[in-house]
Amino acid sequence: MKRSTFISSLVATGVLSTSSHTATAHATKRMPRKWKIPPHLKPGDAIGITCPSGFALAEDVAPAIQYLQSWGLEVVVGNTVGKKDHTFGGTDQERAEDFQNMINRSDLKAILCAHGGYGAVRIIDQLDFSPFKKYPKWVIGFSDITVFHSHLHAYVGVASLHAKMAEGFPSDPSKFEPVQFQALESIRKALFGEPLQYTVPAQVRNRIGEASGILIGGNLKMIETLAATNSDIDTRDKIFFVEDVGEALYSIDRMFCNLQRSGKLSHLKALIVGSFTNIRPDDPKEPFGKTIYDIVWEQVKSYDYPVCFDFSVGHQKNNVALKCGVPHRLSVTDTNSVLTEIQHP
Amino acid sequence: MIVPPYLKKGDTVGIVCPSGFLPAKKVTDGIQILRSWGYQVRLGKTVGNQYHYFSGTDEERLADLQQMLDDPNIHAILCGRGGYGLSRIIDRISFRRFTKHPKWIIGFSDITVLHAYLYQRVGVASLHAPMLAAFSKKDLSSVFTLQKALAGKQQNHTCSPHAFNRVGTVSGPLIGGNLSLIAHLVGSRSALQTKGAILFLEDIGEYIYNIDRMLIQLKRSGIFNQLGGLVVGGFTDCKDTEIPFGSSAFEVIQHQINEFDFPVCFDFPVSHDTANVALKHGMPYQLSITNRKVLLKAL
Repeated sequence: MKRSTFISSLVATGVLSTSSHTATAHATKRMPRKWKIPPHLKPGDAIGITCPSGFALAEDVAPAIQYLQSWGLEVVVGNTVGKKDHTFGGTDQERAEDFQNMINRSDLKAILCAHGGYGAVRIIDQLDFSPFKKYPKWVIGFSDITVFHSHLHAYVGVASLHAKMAEGFPSDPSKFEPVQFQALESIRKALFGEPLQYTVPAQVRNRIGEASGILIGGNLKMIETLAATNSDIDTRDKIFFVEDVGEALYSIDRMFCNLQRSGKLSHLKALIVGSFTNIRPDDPKEPFGKTIYDIVWEQVKSYDYPVCFDFSVGHQKNNVALKCGVPHRLSVTDTNSVLTEIQHP
Repeated sequence: MIVPPYLKKGDTVGIVCPSGFLPAKKVTDGIQILRSWGYQVRLGKTVGNQYHYFSGTDEERLADLQQMLDDPNIHAILCGRGGYGLSRIIDRISFRRFTKHPKWIIGFSDITVLHAYLYQRVGVASLHAPMLAAFSKKDLSSVFTLQKALAGKQQNHTCSPHAFNRVGTVSGPLIGGNLSLIAHLVGSRSALQTKGAILFLEDIGEYIYNIDRMLIQLKRSGIFNQLGGLVVGGFTDCKDTEIPFGSSAFEVIQHQINEFDFPVCFDFPVSHDTANVALKHGMPYQLSITNRKVLLKAL
């Protein structure tokens, strides 16, 4: 191709245009504006356990089964529990089939993911969520399961539960710390429809204020890597929460730049910053020199919505259940921050 | 796409650090070599400057780069090193004067952010090429491709056949760079639009599972749908999880693009390793892949 024809073909294909639209190659389906809330559970209901991402052994999920049964639930253990394909809980096909089976079964009222790790994004587009129109159910998990929360929010239009996974149910209740009990209790309350309310201590870097909106969020890395896909969440007018584990500070900073540059921070009702645990150490010769608080603040200082730091969500014992796609109220004062689920809005 | 003028003897190359910190002593080999090519060298204030991880505060890095972009007496800008930092300032750079006096901007890795912005938003070609660390290496062959590129000499690049290659010939604008940054830019105002393009990718120090995840992101965001061709460069020092992922970086990439039919070549000499030839980002190239050879030819 000659350069002149090449350049004109670039103009024709829009490469040279300077319009400000973002790359949304997927913009074929309109994003949901309302999120169906799955029915809450009653004793006698059934809940499935499956591994859409990394593998979990049978003994890893045994404590969870006991707990769920003690809540009066019947537990259906999926085929992928105990399966192992390298790091995955089975091959892509096995994991997709197991999850699809749980979607399809009308007797199951919730799906508890066993383990995070990596793998949900490899199967998400193979899953058919159309049975959720008739039988929406709670999908429960966090970390890699953020793929499901985002997809259910952006593509399917169903609320879901950001919470500990089956492997996170501690095995010895006698050694329970109160926060572990609180985390488990929050899952029970969420599933059975008891109103959720969480209070965390004030943090000096918080921005005071009050806001109401639909809650959505999850693992920051996952939210970044879902950008411009059909699972990309719209954060406008939402209460948005993020957490992450094992990332370097520069990488967290870069991810916040991505949130900013993809417009995810500019029209929030509020921002909730959970824990950033096991931060990868810097090279001692060139430390990053900014804390999580600094990194977040730089990106949100030009807005005026409330910001709550150190919220009890993340890769830690104190990881409370949060209903994505459900309206909440956040109040950040100089004494504490309170997040309250708004039931029957 | 505006093509900046090639350099003549006596022209001036400015050196800036828009991202990570670069100690001043690491610049000496580069200055010497650039002078031996007949160019003058001007050092920006960020060279040797340090603000924690960065080569200066956002304001300092922005001001240094802006000054070099605006100064008509600077004929090319060589970024000292990558690291991290361009994402923090990219939307505050003004290219108004630069487009009146376009010049070659040179670098890779974090500089991918600049290349993508120049291609998508400014419409000026740039040079994906070695930075200063390469000028101190024993093997300067990739640095010499930069010398030729700056002088406007036509260059063809070849690489050995690879079992994963998919044969075919395609022409289109050559764009790409560091996979982590290409993925990071998806969804932003400088995300690459790849329709009809030849995309090249390289990375360093990434976990295999993360390479898989990034490839899926590119796929799900539609980047491969109308792609002309793919050039897979080096994936240097890949990391793996305690339980191995079970595939190499190349196997992961091959698997993720299996459903498409554009030509692909693997192990092309663009990488964080020594093999990193100068590529004119945004300019038209022809990629031809046969069972016996791979040829990337500037058109």
